[in-house]
Amino acid sequence: MKNKINIKGIFAMMMVASLFLGCQKDFPVDEDGLLITFRRECFVSNFELLGNDFVSVRNGVPIIDTVAQTINVTVNFGTDLKNLYPQFTLATDCKLDPKITGKVDFSDLANPKTWTVVSGDRQVRKAYKVFVKVQ
Amino acid sequence: MNMRKHIFKTIIAAGLWAVTLTSCEKDEYKVPDPVSALSNDCIKRTLGPNIASLPIEFVYAMAIPKSKGKLAFAEVTASIPGAAGTFLEHRSFYTNSSGVDVPVTVGTPSVTNGATTKMNFTVDTSAASLRYYYIVPNEARGQKVKFTFSVTASDGTTAYYEMGPYDVSKMEIKRNIAVSNNNMAFLSIADMTSYNATSAASNAAKIDLVYLYRTTPTTFTHGLVAPGADAALYLPGVTLPSGVNNATKVIKVFSLQDRNLAQMQFGIYVDDIDMQKVDFNNAPLHAVGLRAENGVWVETADKKYRAYVFINSVNANGSAVVSMLRYDMTAK
Repeated sequence: MKNKINIKGIFAMMMVASLFLGCQKDFPVDEDGLLITFRRECFVSNFELLGNDFVSVRNGVPIIDTVAQTINVTVNFGTDLKNLYPQFTLATDCKLDPKITGKVDFSDLANPKTWTVVSGDRQVRKAYKVFVKVQ
Repeated sequence: MNMRKHIFKTIIAAGLWAVTLTSCEKDEYKVPDPVSALSNDCIKRTLGPNIASLPIEFVYAMAIPKSKGKLAFAEVTASIPGAAGTFLEHRSFYTNSSGVDVPVTVGTPSVTNGATTKMNFTVDTSAASLRYYYIVPNEARGQKVKFTFSVTASDGTTAYYEMGPYDVSKMEIKRNIAVSNNNMAFLSIADMTSYNATSAASNAAKIDLVYLYRTTPTTFTHGLVAPGADAALYLPGVTLPSGVNNATKVIKVFSLQDRNLAQMQFGIYVDDIDMQKVDFNNAPLHAVGLRAENGVWVETADKKYRAYVFINSVNANGSAVVSMLRYDMTAK
């Protein structure tokens, strides 16, 4: 009889313990299903421009100013500015807004394109302007 | 309740038994029938689209038991007569231990009469593997072509093998067009050739691209530029003949070495559907910084033709060799 009571007690304790486990909170994700972390770093570490043929059209290295939040890039003479694929390398856990989904038209050189870098904790947002200059 | 349990158990047991029986079914091995009569087989060796003026290559194998006789003649009939150069090999090939195809003469050179190509065996042989080269005629473009291979033995028996039908591409091909700076600089898609300034003036409406070579800026090098492009930027030092002003759209391509154009080892083929699907919206009128094995998609100003122009080779003295595949957008 005593044994039966002990088994019941152990079973009850396990049930309570599993309830606690079940209530553990999931890691938070944002609207894109990306993990929201504690990182606050928010910057562009590298930038690339690919042509229609997926070959780099950069002439020299891009100049990224993380204080002024600008990217200055010179492209080869004759680059087809209407059909370029920009590629950003960001700090860990950051994401880009708006997303790059295909070719981007950079032909309006007077009005540089702007992308916003969002930090890993999604609290810091920094808008970077991309200035393109033709060789 | 017990009755229901019993029925349920019985059903489960029967199901398991059925599964066991099914999975244990044995496939009996059957000894293949020995070749007891004249027999044949065929494969198509050519890959990629079937383009007018280029060959489609087949290998036709045939054999008869020695006791039945020997091979007398082989012939191939195409549904559309092949162009000049169509032939059936009079040599049988075998592959030696080094992987080299070694020919053995087995008959007289084939004779083509209309759509039929025939080869007579002159040696006493009961097996052969012959190659058939069908040169796609221009009139077959956009149609289907099929082939009937046959072999007749000395005992009068004949074996047949049907191949196809195969789609023939609507594209046309022209290889190795020499272009040079300030000389044969005017490229025509309509005529699939290059012109100098004098000839270009008399074919002004057909001039779609200008080849030029510039060392300044350093990234310019070899260029294919539409006559209608910004002349100050992309046609420096070029005097266009009167009337040469087509705004041809050009898209630079990297790593698309079509095998037929490159005539190299690459296993890439441009086909009709590629020509149809290229998006020329927002395409520029120039392609500069071209190197060997680059290419450009081209759409003529009147939108009649689309083409893929491949750069076979370039020379720093300001010349290049190009090849092109052309697709007529208006052809049915």
